[in-house]
Amino acid sequence: MVIPETPGSKIVAPLGDASAAAGHTGGLSARMSEGRTAGAALPEGSPNGDARTAFWLMAPALALYAVFTLLPIAATFWLSFNSSAGFNTSASFVGVGNYAKAAQDPIVWKSLVHTFLWLAYHVVMAGGLGLLLALAVSTLRITQVFFRTAFFLPHLVSLAVVGVIWANIYDPFFGLLNTALTRVGLGAFTQGWLSDPALVLFSVNVASSWQGFGLYMLLFIAGLQNIDHSLYDAAEVDGANAFQKLIYVTLPGLREVTTFVVSLAMINGLKGFATVFVMTNGGPFYQSELITTYIYRLAFQSQDHGLAAVLCILLSLLAIAITIVFNRWRARLSQ
Amino acid sequence: MLKFLARGTALAAMIAASSLAHAETLKMWGPEQITEPLVAQLWNGIKADFEKANPGVTVEFMPPTGTISNGAVQAAIQSDAGPDVILTNSGIGRISVVKNAKQVMPLTDQYEKRGWKDKIYPWLYTELKGQFGGEIYEVPDGLDALGIWYHKDLFEQAGWKIPATWTEFEALMKSIGETGLQPIAIGPRTTGSAGHLFGNLLQSASGKDVIGKALRREIAWDDPSVAAGAIRLQKLVEAGYIKKEMAGLDLDGASRLWFNKRAAMFVAGPWFTANARKAGYDLANAGYAPMPSDIKGAAMPTGGVGWSWLVPVNSKQPELAMKWIDFMLSDAVMKKRAQDPASTMIYPREIPGVEPPTPVLKDIFAAAAGGVGYNPSVYLPGTVLDTYFQVIQGLISGQIGGEDGMKQLQAKMAEAK
Repeated sequence: MVIPETPGSKIVAPLGDASAAAGHTGGLSARMSEGRTAGAALPEGSPNGDARTAFWLMAPALALYAVFTLLPIAATFWLSFNSSAGFNTSASFVGVGNYAKAAQDPIVWKSLVHTFLWLAYHVVMAGGLGLLLALAVSTLRITQVFFRTAFFLPHLVSLAVVGVIWANIYDPFFGLLNTALTRVGLGAFTQGWLSDPALVLFSVNVASSWQGFGLYMLLFIAGLQNIDHSLYDAAEVDGANAFQKLIYVTLPGLREVTTFVVSLAMINGLKGFATVFVMTNGGPFYQSELITTYIYRLAFQSQDHGLAAVLCILLSLLAIAITIVFNRWRARLSQ
Repeated sequence: MLKFLARGTALAAMIAASSLAHAETLKMWGPEQITEPLVAQLWNGIKADFEKANPGVTVEFMPPTGTISNGAVQAAIQSDAGPDVILTNSGIGRISVVKNAKQVMPLTDQYEKRGWKDKIYPWLYTELKGQFGGEIYEVPDGLDALGIWYHKDLFEQAGWKIPATWTEFEALMKSIGETGLQPIAIGPRTTGSAGHLFGNLLQSASGKDVIGKALRREIAWDDPSVAAGAIRLQKLVEAGYIKKEMAGLDLDGASRLWFNKRAAMFVAGPWFTANARKAGYDLANAGYAPMPSDIKGAAMPTGGVGWSWLVPVNSKQPELAMKWIDFMLSDAVMKKRAQDPASTMIYPREIPGVEPPTPVLKDIFAAAAGGVGYNPSVYLPGTVLDTYFQVIQGLISGQIGGEDGMKQLQAKMAEAK
């Protein structure tokens, strides 16, 4: 069997010799290799032949990807250069007219700023809370399963339902939050959580983060379990206190999980829509408008599909830019 | 015996095949409150009567999950798996959204062919004909008449009454506020609720004629004569008669405030009887009055077409949809609905000899008998509505002044076709 050359490797060896070449003279892998070579020989093929086989094997998936992902992206791109009032309406080419319109629309800029803020809030609040609770829960012995389950439960509730629940919690007159603050003598801290322009985006994000933190917590718990316990023993021998162990052992040990959680939180943050739509519909006076909610408003309420398509392109570019920056940061971190 | 069995089976199969061939399903996007038992009972009765009158037809209700205002109707039509006939909130502003997107059929020919023209008020037909250059896309099912709802018992105990003038009304709100009650509740997170109070204020401050001119674009929305209503709302917020926190409430939240008697007044239409029933509120205690005004004759409910039937262009059963609308406009169904305890609206034509099922509906019908003013929520172009509702939220949350708000509205009106 000729193993195709891959960059950085020049292995040309029979499969049966692979384990021997790697220094294994026996064991399961060697026996498996022997079994394979002892039976019908694998067909030999040129790299081109393998590529053709791979192509045909991937063809169904590629076709689905083209129909359900590439085609809609292309259609959105096409739509962004057209003026269309929506369903069944013949589109007319307007060039970059929609892009110019978007650039001049103050709500687009406002929603862009809100989207960045939303992203940051979600990463810090949902990711941060997930980490804190993972640290707390992982120290428990008997009740760990109970708390893990309890904290994960909000993640099972749909975002729309979460929105309704939290809108009621924030109700300025009957809501749990203001009522509780008043009952404990902190009436001065009661707020119009969904009406105050400075608070509304944060308030809605709390609801969204509450729904999301459970998943991040589980990921962090899994990461904590992978940290070699002997490192803690060594730190203790060196006289490290709990805080030092957290800074010098736990957090570095969670580096991989943290980058994964941050990327996941960013993806979820960019997709932020349901809680805003249910709790404020982007208001009051556009103070919680995100790019996603504005796209919905334009496409389905105002039927301005051209402008909505421009914002879809903008959102995609934003996602790509964030991905590139994040990946570079992650690569630098792992060096 | 075997031959007999075989023939019988073949006959049964033929009958089954024949009935299958005639079996038709009409998917209907129903009234908002169809999950309420009383409303469901009425509509299931109508459905049964229609199915009886049209053998082989099954009516399937699609419980609505939104309206044109929040895009749900458009999304349902666009899905191509949506309804064959829709009952939804309407008015020229909303209808223009689905009409411009070519999502609904023109029904003008049907008005002549099926006699619908004679089954609605003549003034209503004239109004519909004037909206889209003679083409009509809706069949009105109910009209709205928005005014102040108040608690009779609270008002009697405190010796309050809804006055005739705005000046006295401000004094009333001051008195109510001093008792710790919220003078007026509003839930502007729900677009309708935002528009109900604001439309009342606009008319009270400017009169029906001025608002009509603004809607017909004969006068700018930032003209002082029109902007007066927005400035009035700004002042009510500044005086604390409408709490800024209310900008975070939706219709349910604001209704809850009123039903629990934490708020003295609420602006709503006849449909509010359904919300009241759902909340277990004693409708006998509900009073209704138009918003006071210093302008002679301006103290009247605002309104317009509230609910209409639409037929999507991709209706799988357009002919059956037309039959359904015929049926809904028939004397029998209209009388049945008007007398039913679930009745919540003013019907699109006079129905003689029908006693409204609740006293508050009687009050509303009496107040609306002299005509209704304009509720801009149903008359403004669809592309302007969003700005309209956001400006109201901005006014209530204290982010924008009345004049600035109306300037933004006028800018959007200038852009709209």
